Amino acid sequence: MSASLYTKRRIKNIVAMVLSVAATGVGLLFLAWILWETLSQGVAALKPQLFTKITAYREEGGLANAMVGSLILNLLGILIATPIGVAAGTWLAEYSRRSRLGPTIRFLNDILLSAPSIVLGLFVYTIVVLPSKYLSNGDITFSGIAGGVALALIALPVIVRTTDEMLRLVPGTLREAALSLGVPQWKLTTQILIRAARSGIVTGVLLALARISGETAPLLFTAFGNNFMTLNPLDKMPSLPQVIYEYTKDPSPDINTLAWAGAFVLTMFVLALSLIARFAFRSKVSHD
Amino acid sequence: MTNMNEVASQPGFGTSPHASGVDLGQVPAKMTARDVNFHYGEFHALKNIAMDVPEKQVTAIIGPSGCGKSTLLRIFNRIYAIYPNLRASGEIILDGENILDPKYSLNRLRSKVGMVFQKPVPFPMTIFENVAYGIRHHEKLSRSEMENRVEQALRGAALWDEVKDKLKQSALGLSGGQQQRLCIARGIALKPEVLLLDEPTSALDPIATSRIEQLVEELKRDFTIVIVTHNMQQAARCSDMTAFMYMGELIEFDRTEKIFTKPDKKQTEDYITGRFG
Repeated sequence: MSASLYTKRRIKNIVAMVLSVAATGVGLLFLAWILWETLSQGVAALKPQLFTKITAYREEGGLANAMVGSLILNLLGILIATPIGVAAGTWLAEYSRRSRLGPTIRFLNDILLSAPSIVLGLFVYTIVVLPSKYLSNGDITFSGIAGGVALALIALPVIVRTTDEMLRLVPGTLREAALSLGVPQWKLTTQILIRAARSGIVTGVLLALARISGETAPLLFTAFGNNFMTLNPLDKMPSLPQVIYEYTKDPSPDINTLAWAGAFVLTMFVLALSLIARFAFRSKVSHD
Repeated sequence: MTNMNEVASQPGFGTSPHASGVDLGQVPAKMTARDVNFHYGEFHALKNIAMDVPEKQVTAIIGPSGCGKSTLLRIFNRIYAIYPNLRASGEIILDGENILDPKYSLNRLRSKVGMVFQKPVPFPMTIFENVAYGIRHHEKLSRSEMENRVEQALRGAALWDEVKDKLKQSALGLSGGQQQRLCIARGIALKPEVLLLDEPTSALDPIATSRIEQLVEELKRDFTIVIVTHNMQQAARCSDMTAFMYMGELIEFDRTEKIFTKPDKKQTEDYITGRFG
């Protein structure tokens, strides 16, 4: 009897193994396929000029301005979102314990986390881009700043959430140990807890960066796009995802190829960020 | 409030029959609990606790899980106060003042009463900084004074020889036993008068445990120690007084050798002989 039970279990085990390996395979297959497709379609445009020339030259140009624009926009977004997000996450994890406001804000943050990015883009258009006409003789001014604010709104809930969760993972005994030395709450929070959760918080910021670096919709009505190189955040600013979006609709096959090359660069950038988030900070958890 | 006779003559002392009349010998009481009750929300966790903690001796608190021994320890430095819905009433007298009085400064209390926890919890910083961190909050010291204090504390915790060449390294790289001695160093660095140890060896291997027990023996020269332990042999080995608690009540409190040889109460005897727990 026990022999047949054992055989049954072995069969179940094999079936479960095959199914889960197959599921993993499907996931990896699509990832490899996407990478292969973007690479093979875009390889013709993967030349130095992709990184040195601007989109104003069309087929003869590259995506340099879009890449620089994306870097500036992402940087602005992260610079705005990180301090606010870390502070809010810290409040949620450490200070909201005795109030009912905490769970409410956590819930609202989760809603913001899943808000459609186009809606956030329109929101920033209304609160940043439209009012800016009072500062600029009545012209509506799209700007890198507006784009950065839109991206910050997307990064913010990610950072709030990871900070909150990472701090809540810090064992309560660490808090008790510090408080039992007479250390006040603010010192405990800023000097011990944030430090203990640092690698998790940095990982959250990197994941937020990976998330916003692929966003197109919130930039359409905020940064707007620009065919020239600009470093001025008050200018209209180009971005890689938006150029890819526009170039894929273009009738010219060479322009389509540039879009593929841009997509490949963007994918590799996001992949690299995710890998850094995974590995560079994991080793520090145990030693630092 | 320094000796037993004075304590016994205070009105209100001895309302619980268990602690009254316990002979501390010539040793004065450092801390005295009177009518201490504790509630976790609706749950009545400690009932009319009265006991004297003798100065520069080791007092062990034993009892089965959930009996309230850690709860009692956590009232001695009011660390429970960081959580909502916990209430303590009654009096705990330390050097003549009631520490449960909300006017008694937490800062002052915690510089007088140090605590070491069940799991070693080094701060995520260097070994040196772990010890210096608490000192820096209470005192302004020059660099060399600080180095002296840290060395003194690490020597006091029998850790100096093992870490003197790596003070600038992260404390998280130490072994569990070393981390726990670091936590003791961190606690004694503030020069407290009372040291509370909450099952300090339950996460450690036997060798690290015996080192901590030796250390407790040495520390009682300078500090009044209260240790909560699950391990009855440990209580028998390293304490002078033992309190046995059960279901939130202090059943018996007496000299350790008496508790472990001829306890007055049947429940105590049943527990130490392993008939229940």
